[in-house]
Amino acid sequence: MKTKTNTQGGRYGRSGLPVEFDGIARNFKDVAALKSFNLHADPGELIVLLGPSGCGKTTALRVLAGLEMPDSGRVTIGNHDVTSLPAAKRNIGMVFQSYSLFPNMTARENVEFGLRVRGQKQSDRTARSNELLELIGLKDQADRYPHQLSGGQQQRVALARALAIKPEVLVLDEPLSALDAKVRSSLRDEIRRIQLELGITTFFVTHDQEEALAIADRIAVMHQGQLEQLDTPLAVYTNPATEFVAEFVGTVNRLPGKVINSNTVEVATVGPINYAYDGAFPSGSQVEVLVRPESIGVRDGGDDTCRVLAKSFLGSTIKLTLLDKSDRLIIVAIPTSEAALVANSETVSLYSRGDALLVKDGAR
Amino acid sequence: MVTIAPDITSKPGSANNSSDVLRLGRPFRYIVLTLVGLFFIVPIVSSARFSFLGNHNSFTISAYTQLFGTAQFWSTLFLSAKVGVGTVFLTLLLLIPTVVWVHVRLPKLRRVFEAASLLPLVVPSVVVTLGVITSFRGLPNIIYGTPVILSLEYVVLALPFSYRALDSAVQSIDLKTLVEAGQSLGSGWIKLLRYVLLPNLRGGIIGASILTFAFCLGEFAVASLLSFTTFPVFLVQVGQLAASQAVALSLLALLFTWIPLAVITIVFSQRRAKRSTPVLDDLEIS
Repeated sequence: MKTKTNTQGGRYGRSGLPVEFDGIARNFKDVAALKSFNLHADPGELIVLLGPSGCGKTTALRVLAGLEMPDSGRVTIGNHDVTSLPAAKRNIGMVFQSYSLFPNMTARENVEFGLRVRGQKQSDRTARSNELLELIGLKDQADRYPHQLSGGQQQRVALARALAIKPEVLVLDEPLSALDAKVRSSLRDEIRRIQLELGITTFFVTHDQEEALAIADRIAVMHQGQLEQLDTPLAVYTNPATEFVAEFVGTVNRLPGKVINSNTVEVATVGPINYAYDGAFPSGSQVEVLVRPESIGVRDGGDDTCRVLAKSFLGSTIKLTLLDKSDRLIIVAIPTSEAALVANSETVSLYSRGDALLVKDGAR
Repeated sequence: MVTIAPDITSKPGSANNSSDVLRLGRPFRYIVLTLVGLFFIVPIVSSARFSFLGNHNSFTISAYTQLFGTAQFWSTLFLSAKVGVGTVFLTLLLLIPTVVWVHVRLPKLRRVFEAASLLPLVVPSVVVTLGVITSFRGLPNIIYGTPVILSLEYVVLALPFSYRALDSAVQSIDLKTLVEAGQSLGSGWIKLLRYVLLPNLRGGIIGASILTFAFCLGEFAVASLLSFTTFPVFLVQVGQLAASQAVALSLLALLFTWIPLAVITIVFSQRRAKRSTPVLDDLEIS
């Protein structure tokens, strides 16, 4: 497909194209995997599709890649409607979850495959594969077969193979989920580095919120086949649009509370907390308040105390599992610098040190 | 940063357990192997001895020379080989796309196809034979009156072997992902077949071919029923007249199946060996 590309953008002289999902619906028998799904990606942006399994994120990705045909709606890349184009004609680079390298080909042959089926000359193919193997730092392993490469190396070759065809859009379907934690985070950073360097519009599917927060320009949180929120990682975390987003991204405590005035709510055990008033609740209403663990502080002693059930040291923070007097579990995260506060305590009292995440009607 | 990939961790406990089992079972294993070996070798050696036996227990190769001098020996062998090659060709042409399609597009029907492929084992071959003949009755004489009909019969009758060989080869690779990866890289089905599917299914294709070919070379009932004098039919005819020639013939039949089988196996294993050099270092440099 020919598209007009401007000359700004990545080192390789390409820049991303906008991508638009417009009212996409896709049903599998009785199950609606996508329900009027809308999403607009800006040129060169990395969008992470995040959600629990079955939320439709992978279906959305496959619809974009042409591996799944939508029942209705339109997909456009740049100014072109690609909805009816088969996968082979879309020029989209795709990296799969499982190791999808062709086992009968070396790393180099895998990278060159897309160019080979396009009938490019061997010399051009070699030049391009050298360039990409260098980009992913595996030039020395070019002649190895997939089974001679580690999982992380295989996924890097898969990335190089997807990029070799100079795709208009890059899509990655949980590319890191089969790798162990260390390799995972380093490869994650590498994908981001390469993506920024090439300036290619990228969709990245994951169910791992930490991965999403770390890599995305914007996160599209999906739930039951629809987009819940599309925003920057920081906004999704600190200002979730819905309860679902608040619960899925990060940890939250749900506590009963009573509205005091337009920006304060009195929360059980914790005390007064600030919240962004949207005019919904008159003073005195009973509400449920969602609070992040790091928005609650602890101190020794006090009247309204909680029992410390468990302490887990997570490096920069300490996670405390507490039980208040009404037998409610409360999770609190305190900076490691405050470790001394809970070193010997079996009971602590709580105070608010941040805003409430969400305030909703009715107490449990 | 250098981290060691996790998949090289070994389980010493389990290794010990299995070697214990091996040590205990070693004598038993040799007994079983010897018995099985004798079961196969004794009849073959006896047959060979019998086929070289002349008058008054003398050694003679006349059974073989007489056979090689018979025009029918060569014509029936050629016919069987021709039918075998045709059957293998038709089988692969029919089954490779079918198996691939079932795995990629109709995974839920996989069990149904698998069960259907086993039917020739359950339904008596005479019934299958008549079924195939009836199905192809309307076809022109070039198929119906020639050994082509025999190949069509054998495609069906050898299905339990050929389908399983291909099906297990397909199952051993992540076919759907490989196909989708190929498509996303711009490949159509023909190039996918040529560069990705055929090379990765080679083991299954060779297995299916050998099994099908061996089946064709040994099948008697259907060929006889349809009045084709194939190699096995010739063998039975000879057996009614000259015992030592019939035995010599059956030994030759064994050889004719083994030689191509051995050649294919050797070629295949050499290709594999070339590819499977061990992983030199499992270090993930990141």
